[in-house]
Amino acid sequence: MTGDKRGVFTPAGRCEMNNRKGIKRILAIRGMGAAITAFAGLIVIYVAFGILNPKVFSGQNILNLLRSMSKYLLIGIGQSYVMITGNIDLSIGSVVGMSAMLTATLMTLGVPPLVAMLISLCCGLMIGVINGFLVGKFRLPPFIATLGTMFVARGIGYMVNGNRNTDNIGIKLGKEVGDRFQDFFYYGKTAGIYNTFWIALVIFIALFFLLSKTRTGRHIYAIGSNVDAARLSGVDVVATTIKTYLVSAFCSVVVGFILCAQAGMGNMEAGNTYEMYAVAAGVIGGVSPLGGSGLLLGTFAGAAVWQTLENGLNMVGAQVGIQRIVIGVIVVFAVLADAVLRTGNGLKKSK
Amino acid sequence: MDLERVTGLIAEESKGMNEVIVSMQHINKSFPGVKALDDVSFELRSGEVMALLGENGAGKSTLMKILSGVYTRDSGELYIFGKEYADLSPRLAREAGVAIIHQELNMCRHLSVAENMFLGRELRGRLSLRNADMEREARKYLDELGVDISPRQTVGDLPVSKQQMIEIAKALSVNARILIMDEPTSALTSREIDDLFKIIRQLKAQGCGIVYISHRLEELSHIADRVTIMRDGQYITEGNFSDFTMDEIIQNMVGREIKEKFPRVSCKKGRKVFEVKHLNAGRMVRDVSFDLYEGEIVGFAGLMGAGRTETTRAIFGIDPKESGEIILNGESLSINKPMDSIKAGVVLAPEDRKKDGLCTKLSVRQNLALPNLDIICNKAGVVRSGEEKELCDKAIADLRIKLPDTEVNVDTLSGGNQQKVVVGKWLARNSKVVIFDEPTRGIDVGAKVEIYNLMNNLKEQGIAVMFVSSEMPEVMGIADRIIVMCDGRITGELDAKATSQNEILKLATAFENKIISADDGK
Repeated sequence: MTGDKRGVFTPAGRCEMNNRKGIKRILAIRGMGAAITAFAGLIVIYVAFGILNPKVFSGQNILNLLRSMSKYLLIGIGQSYVMITGNIDLSIGSVVGMSAMLTATLMTLGVPPLVAMLISLCCGLMIGVINGFLVGKFRLPPFIATLGTMFVARGIGYMVNGNRNTDNIGIKLGKEVGDRFQDFFYYGKTAGIYNTFWIALVIFIALFFLLSKTRTGRHIYAIGSNVDAARLSGVDVVATTIKTYLVSAFCSVVVGFILCAQAGMGNMEAGNTYEMYAVAAGVIGGVSPLGGSGLLLGTFAGAAVWQTLENGLNMVGAQVGIQRIVIGVIVVFAVLADAVLRTGNGLKKSK
Repeated sequence: MDLERVTGLIAEESKGMNEVIVSMQHINKSFPGVKALDDVSFELRSGEVMALLGENGAGKSTLMKILSGVYTRDSGELYIFGKEYADLSPRLAREAGVAIIHQELNMCRHLSVAENMFLGRELRGRLSLRNADMEREARKYLDELGVDISPRQTVGDLPVSKQQMIEIAKALSVNARILIMDEPTSALTSREIDDLFKIIRQLKAQGCGIVYISHRLEELSHIADRVTIMRDGQYITEGNFSDFTMDEIIQNMVGREIKEKFPRVSCKKGRKVFEVKHLNAGRMVRDVSFDLYEGEIVGFAGLMGAGRTETTRAIFGIDPKESGEIILNGESLSINKPMDSIKAGVVLAPEDRKKDGLCTKLSVRQNLALPNLDIICNKAGVVRSGEEKELCDKAIADLRIKLPDTEVNVDTLSGGNQQKVVVGKWLARNSKVVIFDEPTRGIDVGAKVEIYNLMNNLKEQGIAVMFVSSEMPEVMGIADRIIVMCDGRITGELDAKATSQNEILKLATAFENKIISADDGK
């Protein structure tokens, strides 16, 4: 009676799906719209600054841009992972600072760079694990849990060198070793582009793959969308939450290396308020702070927008105050646009 | 054809189709202060739809939560496919083949159909997920159900009826043989109900056992094979659906003595004070019109989700009204927010006391003063403590609220006294109309009588009382007039003294959209 109706629309549907390729297929990915909008915004902003000051288009400036956006890209990726689960990580900036201070201090004591980095990485990941446990296992509000670890990590960063910035990292290891570290993370180039960008790009691609193509990535979206449904479907919420905070901590530690290499020393205030820059990069790129949606491609665009604004406003001679205001307005508008679109033009429809 | 072979086949088939797949024996379950299930037994066979019936609070959901491992039973035996389960977790239940299709759907709105169906058990390749394979599998199950949904669509974009189909497809894809459907038709249109019934018949033919919980008695005749009836946490009866008349089913569901102790006071019915005309607010309030008179309690009866709470919310100005008029003492009121209503003298004691009625972390004094701050503050906005105390003392004396001190937190009081505080907030304002939404829910019998006396007290003061309750005996015992709602509409008005529970229940299930029989349609 009902059996004969099966499969009526199957063949057609399947053919259509397999043939649908290229642009259409890419556009069908959830969150792609927001990411593309962010890229479009990026181009508009870049060209606008370029018209105001042609030096923006110069090769050297592009190289600089790529290098300095790398920091924001990395912390943006970390924060995006956490935000997609519907949480937040306020400890990012402090972990950056802790990593920079630890690495630098150890190197000034004569510890080889690789060992120093490994120790910093372990400490950073510890903070990530603690965040993950507090939020995932003990269900503390992420704002509070990571506020706590934010202070702790910053405190450790202060203490490792006795509440002072460090000396030059090459002081004991020798100038050559110090320079090599600095070149690797900041000043050196490979194939004409600063290493910093290559490092960020490799990490970006790996984490992009993890988020969009693997089971862990799928679970991250599921938790942000409906944590109860995820739990009832057998998703390990605690382990997945810990993983997101680990990713965030890992990215922060790498940014710490970069800042250490840039300065050639450890600065106690390194990475201050970076957690907020990270939120901004994600949000501009369409990552919802409420969880469940967003693409790392968007975060890439968001980080680039952020850096282009900073760079461009500098090049046209805008003062720091103006820069902050413009950036603040753009962040709010990005989210406002998202909120208005989501509720279907909230204002007009309520009859 | 070979006769022996045919009979053999039939015997084999009926064996496969009619074995007992779930057996629950002498199940007991208590929650603090309540015995939710008292020696309940329940059986489900393969290839049948078992309708599980009972009034709100009869214990149907509790029983099914035990079967699906959400609650653990206090005592009793539970067999699924002949295997005894001493300790059933949700996961064990799922592995045993039990799936619940929830009333409120449990899905990740941001993910696609296929992603939801395979959540927690994704197919993985060496490096990445096998999305194409999962989509193909998902499509297979969706096709089996004959639903036209692309596995790639985002679940949040689909209507509720389609989401429900996905839940069913998900259940099938994990090989569920026992499906529990809790009010599956409550959010569906008649066309969609028709589709759902087709699928249920198909699942039946495949040998699944289906537990079907519904308040819509009339739709049962289209699908139910057998019924189990529960009342007050007890097993009442079971049998073939065709052996019962609708009246017998209702009788068994309602069952209890109709006259209980309800202190009704007679009072002279005064003039008309309050009028609602053609009120519309969303799907759950459709063309609602009624009058309230001085010195009268009007009961609002109906099943859960009949639109009564929504009606009170719309009147009070919590939810926006689409159209309609609200008239108090002959004057049309414009109520856009709760304060408009409060100022006019129409007040609400909401359904969920702890969530909407009280600030549970504040003291009794602060709660009583909260909606009256405009009266007890001076021009600069400073609270005049003398007047505040006076207001509190008066409310406490008038309503005989029992409490050690006005400074104790309101959540330390008993349920009955909390309800009095909710009402006490409004008395200082000279309110004309008081709306009670389920005021006796979750409080014990003694406190219930206090609430009834409180309503009687208001009635004697000439206040019009609107009394929403899902417990029919108390509506019949306390109210003077009963208005019955179903599916967002008023379906009838009855004289409380001259009506019966059966009559109310019939009106309460008088659904508008008649079910199209799936047998004759395409």
